[in-house]
Amino acid sequence: MRIVIADGLHEADYLIGLFNTKGNSLIVINRDEQACRYLSERNNIPVIHRSPVREGNLLAAGAKDADLFIALSQSDVRNYVACKTAKQLLKVKRCIATVVNPKNVSLLKKLGVDAVFCATHLLGEQIHTSASLDSFINSLSLEDNKIQILELRIKETHEVCGKALEQLNLSGLASVSCIYRQDHGIIPNGKTVLQDDDKVLLVTTTESRERVTALFRRKRA
Amino acid sequence: MNGNVIIIGAGRVGSSIASLLNEKNYSVTVIDKNKDALMDVDDFSGYFEVADASDVEVLQRVGTDAADAVVISTEDDDTNIFLTDICHFMFGVPRIFVRLADSRKEKLCRYPSVRAICPFLLSLDEFRREFGE
Repeated sequence: MRIVIADGLHEADYLIGLFNTKGNSLIVINRDEQACRYLSERNNIPVIHRSPVREGNLLAAGAKDADLFIALSQSDVRNYVACKTAKQLLKVKRCIATVVNPKNVSLLKKLGVDAVFCATHLLGEQIHTSASLDSFINSLSLEDNKIQILELRIKETHEVCGKALEQLNLSGLASVSCIYRQDHGIIPNGKTVLQDDDKVLLVTTTESRERVTALFRRKRA
Repeated sequence: MNGNVIIIGAGRVGSSIASLLNEKNYSVTVIDKNKDALMDVDDFSGYFEVADASDVEVLQRVGTDAADAVVISTEDDDTNIFLTDICHFMFGVPRIFVRLADSRKEKLCRYPSVRAICPFLLSLDEFRREFGE
């Protein structure tokens, strides 16, 4: 993959370390001279000292038709314009922006940035998730918190234990993707019966999460 | 009233346009981060919001969805491009005027409802006319 890393300091350093592997070609461009020196010395790669919000600079850096563009500056506006320039004028396939203001996560996505990350937004989601679920559930949010992947542990005391999936009436609520049982993954069907100590991996929507978790945690009468 | 116009950025250009449209009986709303931005405009009877217009909630609050036109004239081209896209895609503003110091960025604002105004190109045109080109 040809990856462009635009601006940023420690975030850029981390991503360079992550992506600077065989099979990837990195283009690192940064408006800050000190950051260029720091990134170049630490990673032993050339860093282009130019502003990434200018089409000419990105063209000269070889960013045209790149596979991935990651904008890491501290300015949400700059990151948006850098992604827009890369996508619209240089035909970069996928653009990712980091933002400081959590409200800009959904805004930039609506304006066409493929993926947007905000540390505060992620932290908020994580706190919300851990506060609302008890310890027997792990969860992962996708697509701007609209889709949830839940991992639920089945106990003998749960009402669902010993029942087949088709008896749970999950239709329209959730889809059980996989069951982890005694060191093996099982792709279930409607006849699959839940057993004590199963780990159930299911996909649901954020609106249905509470209903689904309530169903799975209900104790036997 | 001739229509609702929102002016974002009240530097010399923005505040002069605000004054002009105010005189011509437009309903004018000005947004600027600097509370003293309109100090030099006499008899301004429009609405002045001291805020950061790149916050979409500010644009909602001042009624951008009902604006007939928006004039975007902050000192920063990237902010102007960002605001143009918000006004175009999020609020569907029918007429948007955006000032760009760097005329090379004009191609990022090519939508039917957007007119980019580049002082550099206007100056160049003036010189061309002056020298008979």
